[in-house]
Amino acid sequence: MTDLLKKPRRIALGCEGSANKLGIGIILHENDTSTVLSNIRHTFVSPPGTGFLPKDTAAHHRSFFVRIALQALRVANITIPDIDCICYTRGPGMGAPLTSVAIAARTLSLLWNKPLVGVNHCVGHIEMGRAITGASHPVVLYVSGGNTQVIAYAEQRYRIFGEALDIAVGNCLDRFARTLEISNDPAPGYNIEQLAKQGGRILLDLPYAVKGMDCSFSGILTRADELAAHMKSGGKGPDGEAFTPADLCFSLQETIFAMLVEITERAMAHVGSSQVLIVGGVGCNERLQEMMGTMAAERGGSVYATDERFCIDNGIMIAHAGLLAYETGFQTPIEESTCTQRFRTDEVLVKWRK
Amino acid sequence: MSNELTYPCSLSLDVPFPDARLANVALQALRVDKELSALVQKELSAVDSTLKVRYKATTNRMLRVAVNSFFDSLALVLEVMEQLDVDVIEARKAEEETG
Repeated sequence: MTDLLKKPRRIALGCEGSANKLGIGIILHENDTSTVLSNIRHTFVSPPGTGFLPKDTAAHHRSFFVRIALQALRVANITIPDIDCICYTRGPGMGAPLTSVAIAARTLSLLWNKPLVGVNHCVGHIEMGRAITGASHPVVLYVSGGNTQVIAYAEQRYRIFGEALDIAVGNCLDRFARTLEISNDPAPGYNIEQLAKQGGRILLDLPYAVKGMDCSFSGILTRADELAAHMKSGGKGPDGEAFTPADLCFSLQETIFAMLVEITERAMAHVGSSQVLIVGGVGCNERLQEMMGTMAAERGGSVYATDERFCIDNGIMIAHAGLLAYETGFQTPIEESTCTQRFRTDEVLVKWRK
Repeated sequence: MSNELTYPCSLSLDVPFPDARLANVALQALRVDKELSALVQKELSAVDSTLKVRYKATTNRMLRVAVNSFFDSLALVLEVMEQLDVDVIEARKAEEETG
């Protein structure tokens, strides 16, 4: 009887390149277990004070794709016949980088004669987060440079309960790093986090822009930029003393993370969930995890987060979500394997969940 | 007065591949993405082992941008074929095992 319930052994190769990280991951599904066979990534780092542009980022992905793929295959120690399907990020993301990775994925699919599966980037983060942390039915906070959404699963869709109305929270952080000319290596968000730990002498006043279940970050960014200009010209803080870039980073984090905690808590109350899962690059931030953990504990729940291997964009999350979809019968015909810069999370039919 | 665009600038490319299979792979991988701008039109086809590309554009500048972008994508397809085809990977594995 148990033999009838056994899932066959399946392996997927996932390709991710929707922003400045190029990742290729290989995952094994066997029975109820997911195993990461390899997860290789390379990040396009632009100079301090600049952001990565689509054209340069796409050139980076094209130049690194083959060597990353070879490395992923080598680390996984598998042969081509072992692979069941090739998954790629269909969207959302930057147009040129998405397309460059899709072309490579298509080529692999055709050369190796394997089915192709187009994956939603957000669903990739959610499914990998669920797999790694074991969270069964969490409210998901998806925070990155390109996305800020509060998501809960209901009736075969990942429903968006709340989101940023303008720029993503990670975009706000990254652009503020540009203002301060902080290094982009390994990531501007990480460097802001480290600076914030040195700050905190004074909490500077920034707009708190929660709007029901949604939030807004553009006003905060503008105000933070104004404060930075004020500081650079020798201006004083409200207490009459000078303040530092560290104080600015501290204040920015405290304000925007409190906003994220509030909208997440509101969704937890509506949904009746006691679990929070934080996914996306900003989910690496330990201060955000700490603040979310405090809120969840006060509600008798817990917070789940992954480390930077899986928080940050990677190929394994695309392989995992793609394989889940493939196992329900989903494939993307080659002629339909386009990319779309806008691909809403709730557009995906989640057939692999009850 | 016709509002239809005219495409006075054109370019033909014939890209030879080692065999018809690889030409067809390149065709299928590259024809999926449409030109983003209506000012450029592109037609791809494969005849035996040759990939035929026909570009038309309203201006030379649009033509240059589109063709350069196509060459970038073509270069990626070629590199994937060169390094990641089944027989290449198997040959490399065999070489590593004997070495």
